[in-house]
Amino acid sequence: MNPLNKIIFLSAFLASGFLLILLSCALFNNWKPLWVIGIFLVAPLPNIIAQSVENHRDDFLTFSNDHGNAPSALKEFCQHATGFLIVSGIALPLTFYHSHLIELGATLMSIIGGLIVYSAIIVFIWFFSVEEEENDDFNF
Amino acid sequence: MEQRNSLFRFSGLNLPKSQKLRSIGVYLSGILFAVGFWSMVDAAIYSKTVNASIVHVTFVDWIPFICSTLGMIIVNSIEKSHLLNDNNNNSSFLGGGSNSTTWQARVILFFGFSLLAGGLAGSFMVFIIKFLLKHYTFPTLGMGVSNIICNGCIMLSCITLWLSQNIEDEYSYSLAL
Repeated sequence: MNPLNKIIFLSAFLASGFLLILLSCALFNNWKPLWVIGIFLVAPLPNIIAQSVENHRDDFLTFSNDHGNAPSALKEFCQHATGFLIVSGIALPLTFYHSHLIELGATLMSIIGGLIVYSAIIVFIWFFSVEEEENDDFNF
Repeated sequence: MEQRNSLFRFSGLNLPKSQKLRSIGVYLSGILFAVGFWSMVDAAIYSKTVNASIVHVTFVDWIPFICSTLGMIIVNSIEKSHLLNDNNNNSSFLGGGSNSTTWQARVILFFGFSLLAGGLAGSFMVFIIKFLLKHYTFPTLGMGVSNIICNGCIMLSCITLWLSQNIEDEYSYSLAL
């Protein structure tokens, strides 16, 4: 599959996620679930930042390679923050539903839409980083 | 050397050592922390919107959460190699210097665990004094229950993070030798 098809399919996937969240807001004329987009857009950021910091760390004269397989505290904190943000994106509509601020349909649509947006971003990163390094299997 | 390498006495009970399991543990601890946090936020929003009773979530209900979170931050930012190295270095030439670091690490870790346990105990106390002793029925009682869930989840998250970091410690140790 060439990269152009990948990009087209992924953008359609991403757009359907955005569509679901926007529908969940617009159908009920209640724009509170729009925060889900923000949370799920922020959710991949900690791992991206940690990855780029790890890659650009200067290993030339500092002997920082000696800790081998032990990941740094920053990477660990970013993984922790990723788990926190994903559950936040799911828990925010549930909280709104529990407090009768949004309807059940809006809850389900915004959760599914948010998960679609997040998985589209993750699959995008995974598609285009798998050619550079193939050992990094568990970085979502 | 062979005995200090394993965590438990039985050799079958060793924690599994792998990088992937460690990542899963860290993600799981983040997930548990978010569950705790959102159950507390849910109680607060619930008390402002559909709550029909006169009881509301105030700052008092947030104090156990703050204690637990502070305790979790303290416990997990300790460098764990400081906790174990006094047996090696007591008789070596480093002797006194590393001993004080170990002592400080233990005192700070003790404060962290006290804050965690105090948070959990505080949530039970808020639940009993504010809700249970006044004989409220369930929709109101749910705000106290979610407080307990919040602090329990934060404690579980802390335990998960601690265990997964210990997995990595043994792993890198066995690689280094």
